[in-house]
Amino acid sequence: MSEDKPMANPSVILREEFDDWAVLFDPDTAEGYALNPTGVLVWKQLDGKHTLEDIVKVVRESCQDVPEDVGQHAQDFVADLVKQGLAGYEVKG
Amino acid sequence: MTTTSPAAEKPARKLRLMRTPKSVDIDITDRCNLRCRYCYFFTSPADVKQDLPRDEWLRFFEELNRCAVTEVCLAGGEPFIREDLADIIRGIVRNRMRFSILSNGTLITEELAAFLSSTGRCNFVQVSIDGSISITHDSFRGQGTFYKAVQGIRTLQRNGVSAAVRVTIHRQNVRDLDNIARLLLEEIGLPSFSTNSAGYMGLCQKNTEQVQLSSEERYLAMTTLLKLVKKYEGRISAQAGPLAEGKIWLEMEKARREGLDSLPDRGYLTGCGCPLSKIAVRSDGVYVPCNMLSHIELGRINRDSLQDIWQNHPELWKIRERRFKALGDFEFCRGCPYLSYCTGNCPALAYALLGQVDHPSPDACLRKYLEEGGRLPEESPE
Repeated sequence: MSEDKPMANPSVILREEFDDWAVLFDPDTAEGYALNPTGVLVWKQLDGKHTLEDIVKVVRESCQDVPEDVGQHAQDFVADLVKQGLAGYEVKG
Repeated sequence: MTTTSPAAEKPARKLRLMRTPKSVDIDITDRCNLRCRYCYFFTSPADVKQDLPRDEWLRFFEELNRCAVTEVCLAGGEPFIREDLADIIRGIVRNRMRFSILSNGTLITEELAAFLSSTGRCNFVQVSIDGSISITHDSFRGQGTFYKAVQGIRTLQRNGVSAAVRVTIHRQNVRDLDNIARLLLEEIGLPSFSTNSAGYMGLCQKNTEQVQLSSEERYLAMTTLLKLVKKYEGRISAQAGPLAEGKIWLEMEKARREGLDSLPDRGYLTGCGCPLSKIAVRSDGVYVPCNMLSHIELGRINRDSLQDIWQNHPELWKIRERRFKALGDFEFCRGCPYLSYCTGNCPALAYALLGQVDHPSPDACLRKYLEEGGRLPEESPE
């Protein structure tokens, strides 16, 4: 797993509307991205200080019935956030 | 016509409430350069003769950011009359929100339109246009306002700002609707526009005879608008007023004719869902459920917690829970053949007309309209 530390786009808003439902809202595009509670947990770790491995560890510790391939799920999820412009990686100088 | 009505299905008793409102309607000023004769704002409880200074609003936007509010709608009053509007909008953008503005269109400058465009966060600026020519538009809005409002729209368009138009239908323009649609959709080239009619609020209460449609004019407006919706393939919309009434009343009449037990979410006071997703603030910084229910004070910005008001204020819950009140329990609705197909309509109009929020509004009551000699359009919009 990569040593890179993903970071949430600071313009993006996390709206935890209901207990089982949240949405990421990008005010620059007006587009929303639905999140389940695990997605919210991952999103809150995207602070540029945690690697994907760290994040998966948090998920394993916080959630029940975590599937074996959670690492791959987390990687795909973060990759999708990056693709949508909702998260990114620090550019190394 | 039957005089009994089958019971409507009871709505789910528990409401799911968002943790914070999604959007906030803000009367950003109490001032306006016009005094349109049917303006709902002036002389209403929203007209508090006080504007908050810029810094109060900027502080408030920081709380909206913390509450993850995604959008504010600036109204009033005329938002473009504020000399510090650009600073206010910068504060909205800085706090990760989008915005829209409701305007009479007459004060929009090239510079301001370019600024709005540069933010990339403007959903739309809504300009009021009430006629295809100045004589109709200006009749209630003041001389020279038509030209300036159209110029305002053109300025927005030139600068790449989405321009929305709201047409308020009244006695002077009800025979001009074909031309208004042609002007807006063909000549000006808007993708769409919306319509309404002047409600019995604010200045309209003093000018009812001149402004509000008779039953026959209401029929004419419904018929014309439904025809125009077909002609322009849905590019004309309405949430209230004759077009909305034409659609919903035809649906209600069809349900009655077919003997349906009920329609979804009808038969109760379900006419307003706004307090489930948004809240409003008066120009003096007082929270209210809606800018048309400005007499219900919920607290003050920068003093009271928005989240606390949103989640716990009993007055706000009373309005949300209107939807559990059965229309059949109101004397006003007894024996109505449309009872199980009706929403009871707008609570703000119920208050304006009867002084009661928890009551069906007589304004959009189909039975009352028919009893007063009104007719339904002959064809459904499909």
